[in-house]
Amino acid sequence: MQYVIVGIGGQGILFSSRVLGHIAMSKGETVIGSEVHGMAQRGGSVISHFKIGDYSSPLVKAGEADTLLAFDQNEAFRNFHFLREGGKAVVNVHDKKALENQELQKYIEERSLDVHPIEGYEILKKHMGGKFLFLNVLILGAMCGVGAGNVTVEEVRQAIRQLAPPKFVDANLKVVDLGYETTR
Amino acid sequence: MSEKRILLGNEAIARGIVEAGCEVASAYPGTPSSEILPAVAHWADELGTKTVVEWGANEKVAFEMAAGASFAGKRACAVMKMVGLNVAADPFMSVAHFRIKGGFLLVVSDDPGPHSSQTEQDSRFFAMFAKVPCFDPSTAAEAKEMVFDAYNLSERHEIVTMLRPSVRVDHCRQDIELNDVIDIDRPADFEKDISRWVCLPANVRINHPMLNAKNDAIREEFEKDFGKYNYEIPSEEPARLGIIAGGISYSVVKDLLQSMGRKDVSILKIGTPHPLPVKMVEDFIARHDNVLVLEETYPVIEMQIPDRTKVKGRWNNWVPRAGELLPEVIEEILYKVLDEEMPKTADAHIKKALEELKVTPRKPMMCPGCPHRASFFAIRQALPKAINPSDIGCYTLGVNQKAVDAVIDMGASVSQSSGFYMAHKVDGKERPIVATIGDSTFFHMGLPGLVSAVYNRHAFVLAILDNSITAMTGGQSHPGIGDKLRKGDKGRKVEVEDAVKACGVSWVKTVEAYDVETGKELVKEAWEHARANEEPTVVIFRHPCMLLKREQEKIPVKVDPEKCIGCRFCINYFNCPGLVFDEQNKKAYIDERFCVQCGVCINVCPHGAIQAVDREEA
Repeated sequence: MQYVIVGIGGQGILFSSRVLGHIAMSKGETVIGSEVHGMAQRGGSVISHFKIGDYSSPLVKAGEADTLLAFDQNEAFRNFHFLREGGKAVVNVHDKKALENQELQKYIEERSLDVHPIEGYEILKKHMGGKFLFLNVLILGAMCGVGAGNVTVEEVRQAIRQLAPPKFVDANLKVVDLGYETTR
Repeated sequence: MSEKRILLGNEAIARGIVEAGCEVASAYPGTPSSEILPAVAHWADELGTKTVVEWGANEKVAFEMAAGASFAGKRACAVMKMVGLNVAADPFMSVAHFRIKGGFLLVVSDDPGPHSSQTEQDSRFFAMFAKVPCFDPSTAAEAKEMVFDAYNLSERHEIVTMLRPSVRVDHCRQDIELNDVIDIDRPADFEKDISRWVCLPANVRINHPMLNAKNDAIREEFEKDFGKYNYEIPSEEPARLGIIAGGISYSVVKDLLQSMGRKDVSILKIGTPHPLPVKMVEDFIARHDNVLVLEETYPVIEMQIPDRTKVKGRWNNWVPRAGELLPEVIEEILYKVLDEEMPKTADAHIKKALEELKVTPRKPMMCPGCPHRASFFAIRQALPKAINPSDIGCYTLGVNQKAVDAVIDMGASVSQSSGFYMAHKVDGKERPIVATIGDSTFFHMGLPGLVSAVYNRHAFVLAILDNSITAMTGGQSHPGIGDKLRKGDKGRKVEVEDAVKACGVSWVKTVEAYDVETGKELVKEAWEHARANEEPTVVIFRHPCMLLKREQEKIPVKVDPEKCIGCRFCINYFNCPGLVFDEQNKKAYIDERFCVQCGVCINVCPHGAIQAVDREEA
C-alpha cells in the first residue's frame, strides 16, 4: 500500500501520515515514508510519501501510489502522476470549476483514476467555526468514506484517540465523522 | 527491553546516540539535521541518562565542545548540516589527526535537491578530505545501528568518525526498534600530553603518517568485518547489469528493481564509502560487464575505484551531476544503461491541464502574520534605493518582497555590507545599505563581521530581525533566548542589545516589528547616523515568531473593492499568503484560508483599500 499526501506548508499534512503509520503499526505491518521539513515547508508545496509493506526506500515512484490525499486541489493536479492506474484520490476543493477542465478529465479517464472532491473549507466553516487545521482529519474521514487507503473509519477514530492532544480528541472525532459522512 | 515505534530518521539517530552511551552532545540546527539534538534530549530524559545536550552558538563551537569532551574521555557527538561542516571545517580537519580518547561521532546531514540549503555538497567528500571513516546509511533503521558501530570504530582507532545521513534518511519515518542504553564506563579523566593534544607542526609530522595508517587499517576492516553494511544482492538470472549503490540511492534502486520485476540485475551495497573497501568493489566489477554507480550527490565511491573503464557513472555522464536521484531519475538511468525503451505514460493531458489552469509549484513564503514581513516592508519603504544584503533563515524569503539582494551564507549579511560600502567608497560614492540578519544567525556568525565593521568604520544599517527563535529549522533555542534542551536545565540569556553594544556599536535602537511606521523612521535615522559618523548602526525589529503561537490581538481585515485600484503594490512588497490577487476582477482580496488577522497589512495599501473590519460587521 502506497500513499502520497500533498498540500501547502502549514496545513498539517504530517499528522495524516502519523495516523496512517499508527494504524499500520498496530496491525504489525512494516512502514516507511518521507516528510518535508525546513524552508520547503514554509507556505510552499509539500509532499509526504508513505509506504506499508516490504519496502526499503521512503519514496513513492510516480505511477505507483494507491491513494492520493490532497489538501489543495492545485497540489492534487500537480501530483496526480504519482497515482497508479485506477488509484484513488481525495481532493479538498476550493474552486470546483477547475475540475471541469477537459484535459484534466481526459487524464483522469485515461488513467481510470477514482477522484473524490470534497469542499473541506465549506464544511469546516459550517460545522467547525472555520478552524481549517481540522482539514487533515476531515480528509482521513473522507478517505474511509470512499473506501480508499485500506483502513476503516473505526481504525482512524482509534488512532486519533491515542495521537491527538486530549482536549482536541472530541473535536477531531467529530470532524472524522463529518468527512466520512460527506462522501457516503 | 525491545519495543518498536515509528520514528523520524533523526529521532532514530538520536536514540542510537543515547543508547550508545554518548554523554556530551552538541549541535547547531540546520535542515535536514535539526531534529536530532532535541530528540537526544528527549530520549535522555525518557531513559534518565546524564547526557549533557546543548546547542552551540555555531557548528564550530558545537564541534569543539564535543572534541573537548572526547579528549577528556567521554563518548561525545557533534551534529550539523553539511554547510555547517564548512563552518566547523577548521577543527574537523585538525582533530582528524588526533588520537582521540572517548568515541567521537560527527553526524552531518546532506541535502541533495537541495530542499533547504545553499549547496548540494557531499559530506562524504569531506570525510575523504579529512581522512576519516564515514558511514552512509540507506534507511533510518540502519542509521541507528551505524551509530553504535561508528562509536566502536572511533574508539578502536582513536579517530573522529562521520555518520552521513542524507535528507531522505533524516526525514524518513520508519518503524524502529528501541533498546536499552548500553552500560559503558567513561569517566572524565583528561591526561595531559602535549604530543597528543596540541596541534604543533612537529606533532602533525608524526600524526599525519599515523592517520594514513589508520585509514589502511580501517579499510581492511570495511573489506572484511562490515558485511552488514557492505554486501551483494546477486541477481537470480545471469546479470546484465551490476549496480554499486550507497546511501538512500541503494534503497531507491532496490525498490525500483523489485517493482520492475527485474531478475537480471545484481547490487553491491556500500555503507562505508570512505575508506572504500576497494577489493570488494573490484571483485564485483570483475564479475560484471556492465556496471553502474549510484550515490548522492558527488562521485565519492566512483572516484575511489582504481579502474573505471567498465563503470558508468558521473565521470562519463550516465548519472546526472546535480540534483536528487529520485526514483523517476534512477528509473530513466536504468532503461538507458540496459539499452531498453522506457514505457510511455499519459503525461501530455495533465501537462496541458496544468498549463490551462495556470497551476505551478507554490514557492516557499513567510507564514501569515510573520513579523519579518512587516520589517522588510518598513526597510524597503524607508530606503527604496538601498542595497539589501541578507542572511540564512526564514528572512531569506524577503526576496519575495524585493528586500533581499544578496545572500551567501550564515553571517555574510554583515561582512558583505562592509564590502558593498568599500566598493562605493573607493569610487568616492555612497549608497544606502540596509542588511538583515536573524537573532540566531547574529549569534552564530554575525558578531565577527560587526566587530570588523566597527573597527574599520563601515557605514551601513544592520537590521536584526529578532523573532526570539531559530525559526526556519523548526523553532530551536539560542543564546538570545537562554532556554536549554534537557528538562530542568537552565541557561542564561544573552541580550542582543548587549552583544551589539559590546561589539562597539554606538547607535542601536529597538522597535516592535509590527509597528511599520516607527520601523521606517528608525531605518532612515539609523542610515543618517551611519553615514554621518562612518560607523555601522543597528535596528532591532522584535516580535515573536508565529510558530511560538503566542496570544496576540486579532484584527480582522477586508479589502474595499471600491478603493482597490489593482496596482498589486501589496502583492509585490508585502507578499502574504492571506492577501492575494483576483486575476479576473483585478482586485486584491483576503484569503481567509490563510489570514491570521495580524492587521499589519492595513498600513500597506497606499490607497487605503485594506481596512479593519468594524466590530459590528465582524
